Amino acid sequence: MALVEEESRSAAVRVEDLTLGYGDRVVLEAVDLTIWRGEIVTILGGSGCGKSTLLKAMIGLLPPLKGSIALGGRIITGSGNEDNLALARKKIGVLFQSGALMGSLTLAENVALPIQELTTLSAELVDDLVRLKLEMVGLTGFDTLLPAELSGGMRKRAALARAMALDPEILFCDEPSAGLDPVTSAELDQLLLELKRALGITMVLVTHELPSIEAISDRCVMLDGKVRGIIAVGTPAELREGSTDPRVQAFFHRRSRPRT
Amino acid sequence: MDSPHFQVTRTSQGETVYSFSRPLDFQHAQDTWEGILKSLRSTPPRKLILDFQHISPIDSSGFALIRILKRYCERHGIPLEHRAIPAGAEYFVQFLQGSSAVPSEATESSLAKRLSSLGESVRAGVREWSDLIRFIGEFFISVGGALRHFRRFRWREVLYTTQLSGADAMPIVFLLSFLLGLVMAFQGAVQLRQFGANIFVADLLSLAMTRELGPVFTAVILAGRSGSAFAAEIGTMKVNEEVDALVVMGFEITQLLVLPRVVALALCGPLLTMLANGSSILGGIVVGVVSLDLTPASFIQEVYSILTLTDVMGGLAKSLVFSVLVALIGCFRGLQAEKGADSVGRQTTSAVVSGIFLIILADAVFTILYHIFDI
Repeated sequence: MALVEEESRSAAVRVEDLTLGYGDRVVLEAVDLTIWRGEIVTILGGSGCGKSTLLKAMIGLLPPLKGSIALGGRIITGSGNEDNLALARKKIGVLFQSGALMGSLTLAENVALPIQELTTLSAELVDDLVRLKLEMVGLTGFDTLLPAELSGGMRKRAALARAMALDPEILFCDEPSAGLDPVTSAELDQLLLELKRALGITMVLVTHELPSIEAISDRCVMLDGKVRGIIAVGTPAELREGSTDPRVQAFFHRRSRPRT
Repeated sequence: MDSPHFQVTRTSQGETVYSFSRPLDFQHAQDTWEGILKSLRSTPPRKLILDFQHISPIDSSGFALIRILKRYCERHGIPLEHRAIPAGAEYFVQFLQGSSAVPSEATESSLAKRLSSLGESVRAGVREWSDLIRFIGEFFISVGGALRHFRRFRWREVLYTTQLSGADAMPIVFLLSFLLGLVMAFQGAVQLRQFGANIFVADLLSLAMTRELGPVFTAVILAGRSGSAFAAEIGTMKVNEEVDALVVMGFEITQLLVLPRVVALALCGPLLTMLANGSSILGGIVVGVVSLDLTPASFIQEVYSILTLTDVMGGLAKSLVFSVLVALIGCFRGLQAEKGADSVGRQTTSAVVSGIFLIILADAVFTILYHIFDI
């Protein structure tokens, strides 16, 4: 049974026995998690529960204290796997919380950055590709502006265009709707959903915005800071209606957490 | 002992009752607390009762007062009760229970604390040095990579930084070293004129500038102008997650951000040093003509006869090393920045300070080497 499942859908991200932390402070302990190809998984939880830390580890920015992470079947953590990490990075896109666009480059140059670095396309092709990507996120005609001249929502979309520049297989988003108004945030969710439907991208989102979670996730993974690990996995509806865990209930019904 | 803020009554059982007569608010809390302390110290009670009957407002500062009083009583083993907490203040009462849970300071002995802070700083120092060594290692790897893929090297970045750090620094370098030459020549002239050795001002100035002051002076200007700029720029990129984004996109940070800046400064340093040498001699000529009755031609003739190519090249070699150090330390400090604006500020300061320190240190090493090899 398990084997059949393995064959029909393969893992985009596989996290095994992962322990993460900064210095002596352990944030997550012995986490196991598999994210399948083509699904949108949201990692959620209260502030400080380690969701951004987990994301950082998945994109190879934070070496784990213990355990392993595999992207697309290749282990990217540990010494000796630097080549795998470099290879995996060509197949992932990351949308950072602040957008992380280069302040000194225009939008077009920002989007062109990974294309120029990782491919051998000629300037003419790169140019058109950049325009296409900006069009995909609804930023036609803004290509010569600097990031500082844009609104928060536009900056996020531009960053999304850059993250999507090389048609990644997996897209990681760190709090995509943080600091956006509800309408812009809903539009961004819509955009992510469209991209997933059209291109079949696997998406891993870190967020704590309930409307976003309900709107786009296939599956939710809930972390808790006290347990230092996963406390619940399921579709938003399952967690909202089916979970008996008071912490999950508190999160999905926006109640203050049960006092212990 | 009475105070205008409360009345003290003592019962026969040794209980002491404080009846507060002024509101316990931000305006009065401090004076009340001082009065209470005085009274407690002069006659330590066996049991303390706080009576709030006669005051109406108690605000958060009043409750803070009650909390520290409670802690004081716990430390000294005095039982404490309160009476008649006014309506409207119940909200605060729940926090009174938790007041003793405040972390009591000095659970560790002061020696242990000092030891652990010493250990912390040693660890931090070790971490910084190992970071620096890793950084330098990565830099050399990226130099190797750049040599192998010479075509892909970011010359545009180099030119851009060269303009910012080199061309734009020309006016200030010219002005400062012109003035420096002027001052040195004047000071030298005052002394040398006594012996009628006017012309030797040219020797003094040209040797001191090309061998020593030109390179050091230029490098200090570079540390202040460019080293700090590198640290601030890269530090801000780090804070904005731009560095993370570049790493994830597969860029080699050292090759993208550090190497072009180091190459640019390595170009600018010696060139600016030449400018500094030239303009200081110009300053010397002005002094020579104005106050020493020398002609420009005789001044230049004297400089030409005393200076050897080794002097000039030795100075330029120093300048090359200084500039590379300044650029490296600037970039290193920038990459060390953590989240937050104050971290960028600290790293920028540190880039300039350690930059200048390294310049002087390297200069000392050079002096010894030049002495040994008789340059």
